Amino acid sequence: MLRVENLTKVYPNGTRALKNVSFEVKDGEFLAVIGLSGSGKSTLLRCINRLIEPTSGKVYWDERDVTAASAAEMRTIRRQIGMVFQQFNLVRRSSVMTNVLTGRLGYANTISSSLHLFSAADRRKAFVSLEQVGLEDKADVRADSLSGGQQQRVGIARALMQDPKLILADEPVASLDPVLAHSILKYLEQLNKAQGITVLCSLHFLDLVHRYASSAIALKDGELVFQGKPIEIDDARFKAIYGQEAERVTMM
Amino acid sequence: MTPSKQTLSAASNSFLFIILSLLIPGLGQFWLKRFGRGALIFLSALILGLLVNWSLVHQNIGKVTFGHLATSWLWLPFILFWIWNVLDARALAAGSPLRVSGGLVFAAIILYVVAWNVADVRMDRLIARFGDARTVATNLLNPDMITITINGQDGICAWNCLYTYLGDKLAGKPVPGPIRLSDNLLTIVGQIKSVPAPKWEIGLGLAAPAGRVNTFAAGTMLETIAMGLMATIFSTILAIPISFFAARNIMSHLPGGTAIYYVARGILNVVRAVDTIVWGLIVIVWVGLGAFAGVIALTIHSVAALGKLFSEEIEHIDPGPVEAVSATGANLLQTIRYAVFPQIVPSFLAYSLLRWDINMRSATVIGFVAGGGIGFFVVETVRMGGYQQYATALWAVAIVIIVVDYISEKWRESILKDQPPVEAGRKRAFHSRLRLAFYVILGVLAFVYCWNLSAISLRDLFSPGSNFGRLIKDFVSIDLSSNVLQPTIQQMLVTIFQALLATTLGALVALPFGFLAAKNLTGTSPLSVWLYYISRAVLNVLRSIEALLYVVIFIFWVGIGPFAGMLALAVTSFALIGKLFSEAIENIDTGPIEAINATGADRLQMIVYAILPQITPPFISYLLYQWDINVRMATIIGFAGGGGIGLTLTTYFGSLQYHKAGTVVAFIVIVVAVMDFASAKLRQVLI
Repeated sequence: MLRVENLTKVYPNGTRALKNVSFEVKDGEFLAVIGLSGSGKSTLLRCINRLIEPTSGKVYWDERDVTAASAAEMRTIRRQIGMVFQQFNLVRRSSVMTNVLTGRLGYANTISSSLHLFSAADRRKAFVSLEQVGLEDKADVRADSLSGGQQQRVGIARALMQDPKLILADEPVASLDPVLAHSILKYLEQLNKAQGITVLCSLHFLDLVHRYASSAIALKDGELVFQGKPIEIDDARFKAIYGQEAERVTMM
Repeated sequence: MTPSKQTLSAASNSFLFIILSLLIPGLGQFWLKRFGRGALIFLSALILGLLVNWSLVHQNIGKVTFGHLATSWLWLPFILFWIWNVLDARALAAGSPLRVSGGLVFAAIILYVVAWNVADVRMDRLIARFGDARTVATNLLNPDMITITINGQDGICAWNCLYTYLGDKLAGKPVPGPIRLSDNLLTIVGQIKSVPAPKWEIGLGLAAPAGRVNTFAAGTMLETIAMGLMATIFSTILAIPISFFAARNIMSHLPGGTAIYYVARGILNVVRAVDTIVWGLIVIVWVGLGAFAGVIALTIHSVAALGKLFSEEIEHIDPGPVEAVSATGANLLQTIRYAVFPQIVPSFLAYSLLRWDINMRSATVIGFVAGGGIGFFVVETVRMGGYQQYATALWAVAIVIIVVDYISEKWRESILKDQPPVEAGRKRAFHSRLRLAFYVILGVLAFVYCWNLSAISLRDLFSPGSNFGRLIKDFVSIDLSSNVLQPTIQQMLVTIFQALLATTLGALVALPFGFLAAKNLTGTSPLSVWLYYISRAVLNVLRSIEALLYVVIFIFWVGIGPFAGMLALAVTSFALIGKLFSEAIENIDTGPIEAINATGADRLQMIVYAILPQITPPFISYLLYQWDINVRMATIIGFAGGGGIGLTLTTYFGSLQYHKAGTVVAFIVIVVAVMDFASAKLRQVLI
């Protein structure tokens, strides 16, 4: 279970990206995080695995205090939490295989992994992960030769290598062609349903939230303004989250 | 087809390719349709073989004797390279090629062993003559800027003396003697002198006829600045029309234009391949020694370089507006004026500013051959062993070049970034017009002043020296007899290998420095911030001084010859690679770093998986680029005693053997052009 208590983030330039945010995510949930650009969604996800250091507040993961963890403890926590990024964040010049194997770095020995030596088990696992996202035949090509949708699937395979209990997905479909959005989210849904991996996913489109998420939270200017079932977001709530001028749009 | 048959045919096939590659390196690869790989292997084997043979016959490099048989042990790595090529053909036939690093290692062994010997590397001298080096270093660290007079005797007041003097002065204690700016510093910067009154002052009644007036006489550094500025202005003006002749998209509209295009491009490439300093040697035959010769030499080279950049810029313009303007029925000139010009002005200005930076650097050394400017001053002071005077010149050069570098970069940035749209119909405010007028007047005055300072004389320009006709005639009749060809080839190889060693040495030192000078990697602790600033400062100061000026120091340490030249080039390579490398690190994509950190990787793993893959290709590309630059620089390093082809060239020029000098220049053009082409192609493959 993930519990966030009074999380606040103030950037050095004075921007208050998160204000006292508290919520809980039960194991096996698919939680959508919604809100406008700049509402603090990315900051929230990055504070959970401390890619960004929160200013105050607590994050508990399986009753361990993430915010108080040392660098060595952080390594063991992070390797249970996979992350998928809007810009995929693959090492573009490296092969797909190498990119997927980097998901194993948190488990691997520093010296041998620095020399690109991975165990046979890790390599088999990488193939299995690639098979799960349907890219086993692309293992040896360079990451930047893939299309955007394929790159994001490599990103998911990389996260799978971590044997994650939780996946943080930061706008995983925002840089993709709308027709590919469902294919990526279906992979996440499948991991959530079949393997019981908890998913925290920030999303732009409300219809995607309705279709995939089991619960949702909404941020506005860094504050938590909604928490509940996606179905409960009616017109009034929608205006409260997105502002009075916003219109509902459907994707596909 | 059954599996067994398939393996059988694969095996027999791979046997064929093994035989092919065994007979001629690269042939097997070529047969397997890996044309680039095959050609590269074949060329490498050919060059390496010739090199091993040449260095054994002419230089006794790697010579070993077995009884009566004398041979080179370098044939061993050559054979290993051959074997690697055969194994590669076999692996290719089976589907996956071998790693390139194997072949590279054997090639590198041969190259570096030959380089080490022909560049006359004598590590013992570095140590044995360390005492001499320390003397020079002490002199260099104590420049002659302040003169102190003690008991009527003038002496140099360096940092120590100055510190004591100021301490005494502030404490109110008696000082050893009065101090003033030294004559040396005044020669460099400028001073007030009494000169015969110029005509216009007499005419205006400001001075008595045949009287004397006090006026500011510019120093050698100011002269250098004027030379760089004039050359940049002239070359920009001249390069603009020329660049249109060398732009394919413009010329293809004209009848016979494509032919003109090829001729123009060819001339630009040849002129560009000859270094400014070499042009200096030719120009002095025409207009005689002096600042004017320097300006012409800088202008010639600069026109060619700018002409190429400008024409490429013209070729890369957006064809849309050109199409639209032509569609209205506009003729060629109108199309250029309304569709081409607006697109190219900012980048032309940016290139001119870049060229200004380069011209200023060249202007500091053109005096070595052409006279005028600080280069001439350096030659004279060093000849008299005045290292403390030389040190002042170095500091002056460093300051001026760093300032020029900074201004040029800032202006380029502000020109190339998107300009805010000017509101239509709004009149310029009065004060901004006034300011503009002020700048224009200032610019004109500066131009006139620099014109005078760099001794530009149109009369000299149109009355070539008596030897010039002979020079042209001899230059074209290239002498290919063996007594010219032999030393030329030998010195050319020395030059290339000097450049190779200098690049390698510079890069090895630059590697750690590049990390220290990258802002995104140095942490936020005070120590690392200091390290960052110090690394950046060291790189900038070293980079501001031309290799020719370093040679002077190194010949005192390790003696005249290619080793000194190599060390000088290594210093400049270090500075440039360090800068480029740190910028490459600063420009990496942070996304992968974030992603790798999120997997729970530690710092070393993050560097190996997120940073190294991103910086390795640009780093190798910078090495190739630097080697290319160093070959150019190495062709002139001999003018200051750094060995190589430059020495041969000055000898021929000095003894008026222009037909031999012509041969050498032709060789330089060919080698530089080949290096330029090869490094550009290789870099394309890498990126």
